[in-house]
Amino acid sequence: MAVNAAQSHGTGIEQALAACAGGDKNALRRIYDQECPRMIGVAQRMLKRRALAEEAVQDSFILIWRHAGRFDPQRGSGLTWIYAILRNRTLSILRDEKRMETDESPIAEEAASEEDDPETVMAKLSDAKALRGCLETLPAPRRGMVLLAFVQGLSHGEIAGKLGMPLGTVKSWIRRSLLALKECLG
Amino acid sequence: MIQDHDPEIRAGEYVLGLLGAAETVAFESQMAGDPKLGAAVARWRERLAPIDATAQRFEPSAGLWLRIENELGVISAPLQTASSSPATGTRIAQWWDNLWLWRGAAFAGVATAVLLAIGLVAALDRARRQPVMVAVLLTETNVAAAVVNTFADGRVELLPLQDIAVPQGRALEIWTLWDRATGPRSVGLIDRARAVPLRLDNLPLGTDQLFEITVEPAAGSPTGRPTGPIIAKGLTARRL
Repeated sequence: MAVNAAQSHGTGIEQALAACAGGDKNALRRIYDQECPRMIGVAQRMLKRRALAEEAVQDSFILIWRHAGRFDPQRGSGLTWIYAILRNRTLSILRDEKRMETDESPIAEEAASEEDDPETVMAKLSDAKALRGCLETLPAPRRGMVLLAFVQGLSHGEIAGKLGMPLGTVKSWIRRSLLALKECLG
Repeated sequence: MIQDHDPEIRAGEYVLGLLGAAETVAFESQMAGDPKLGAAVARWRERLAPIDATAQRFEPSAGLWLRIENELGVISAPLQTASSSPATGTRIAQWWDNLWLWRGAAFAGVATAVLLAIGLVAALDRARRQPVMVAVLLTETNVAAAVVNTFADGRVELLPLQDIAVPQGRALEIWTLWDRATGPRSVGLIDRARAVPLRLDNLPLGTDQLFEITVEPAAGSPTGRPTGPIIAKGLTARRL
């Protein structure tokens, strides 16, 4: 449902980005009203903590505003562009936090919500038929690795640790899964 | 070991967030000069987008929009770079912007700190020689970690204000950025926090030029770009 809703608003996002490039802050607010709650959700899957997730979203809106003029509709949808910015920002916060090793408990040790478990995510994918169908052609452990990376932002090493598998196996399975997805989705 | 021979798969790994920091930087600079690679990344983003659509929606906290608006107020108009910036610089610029904005550091805070720094530098600079421009490099928590002084005769020096913990086998590398299209350039490498002359040689030097310190391998960044965590950064300002 979320996907369909997002797609039907797609053109609205692109218009709003064009307006942002022209300096219209109301257009940024429209993107915020429509996407902010889900953006927090995407960031929180990776960062676990709400405050960090909101920080990633805050930074992303600044980047969206500054770079709206660079958005090129030929290269993909406005929504995908926005989520690419969010994911880049979220991943760099995630990696920085892990590197900084503050005395707070590291993010990696915080339990992921069951909501973000690969098979729960699979179940929610029902509306996105093509991707779900293609993921289903993969053995569950392999699609799980792809989803752990994309949804929770886990690294190869973290996936290997979580599943108790050798790093090399994880790397090659993910590569093979990507190859299969590429063939399946075209 | 990630094989380079299938760019489509490597693009997939990039979109999954599986490349390490140095690999990501290398991949992004490669992508800047290779539209096919950029297209492969765009395809993966579209393919995987439905997964992001499954995320739970959370109401933002009451102050979030206000914080965004405040930050926008400081940076003013969006960058009009779509036509003026060469395509090759875009990815690096984008990547750099991520650093620039790290952790939502308040630009206003930086401005205030630069003003503060002028007093601070006066105290530091007991010699008769006064710097022409100064950059105070602030940590993520807005603590002044080092000062960059530039002198009329072209000398540039870095003076640490704090001890900086450098992990075994790593070093501190100092970078400057005057043009996002060109990207950051290394101007110094030190094993620990100590005063050091910076090698700017023929590089441009002006106000509002960024200096930053990152943690890198002992021999310096393998990619020629910052790859490690940022310790501190700041912009040059002219002394009154």
